[in-house]
Amino acid sequence: MGEKPRNSRIMQAAQARSTNKAPKPSRSTGLGRVIIAVYGILALAASVRAVYQIMSKFDEAPIAYSLSLFSGLVYILATFSLSSAKRGAWLVSLWAVAVELAGVIVVGILSLTHPEDFAHPSVWSGFGEGYGYVPLVLPIVGLWWLYRNRNERHA
Amino acid sequence: MIAVNGFFIAGAVVCALALLVAVIATAIRKHPDDWALIGAVATELFLIAYGIAAAIRQVGGNAVQGDPVEFWGYFITALIMPPVAFFWAISEKSRWSNAVLAASAAVTFVMVFRMEQIWQ
Repeated sequence: MGEKPRNSRIMQAAQARSTNKAPKPSRSTGLGRVIIAVYGILALAASVRAVYQIMSKFDEAPIAYSLSLFSGLVYILATFSLSSAKRGAWLVSLWAVAVELAGVIVVGILSLTHPEDFAHPSVWSGFGEGYGYVPLVLPIVGLWWLYRNRNERHA
Repeated sequence: MIAVNGFFIAGAVVCALALLVAVIATAIRKHPDDWALIGAVATELFLIAYGIAAAIRQVGGNAVQGDPVEFWGYFITALIMPPVAFFWAISEKSRWSNAVLAASAAVTFVMVFRMEQIWQ
């Protein structure tokens, strides 16, 4: 029991880790926290709903429900990469947000032209109308926010 | 459309008040406002009361019209949101903490609305 805390390797490692930690990127502070919060809400809502849809009625619209799950996963990725201080997280966020914007536009159009495959409720069908068009607006806000914080691109 | 009942009105009032307070706090405060935080606690307490009442309704024969799995899925998702928003809000002192709480209140209302739709 005579061991002093400062001799503990675990404590030393923890201290080294905390001093080496990069400062919080500014994209995850202030208004960025609201954007991340909305991403988190969408990630949770889309993923839980997709899992429910796939478990209970996958046969009705396999394409729509698979896309539902995919969109949920992209929202989860965006939520974490936007709030992460790790190297490359900015670029991952850009990809995730861009995929969302492409997804909501492409699936929105397809739900009009191919309603039999895509009209089933998912985050992206009807340009996100089931979610108050938040899925359409949010990636645009996200792109603007990443552009404003573009100095963190290589950080 | 949904038939309006006491629980739905209560939920709408709690969420609307929490939303209003959080929006005002976003405008006038530069830190998470106590009353906005209390609003998040109030929506959570409402959800707990709603869940207990729903469980009693379900067991008491007046079962859910839609899919119970969907109903309880919505309920658990709704239940997770206010505490996460609460801790997300207090982990940084800025006006935007209040906007996070406002978003949580708005989403809670939508979830209660959807749960009522599924129930009837």
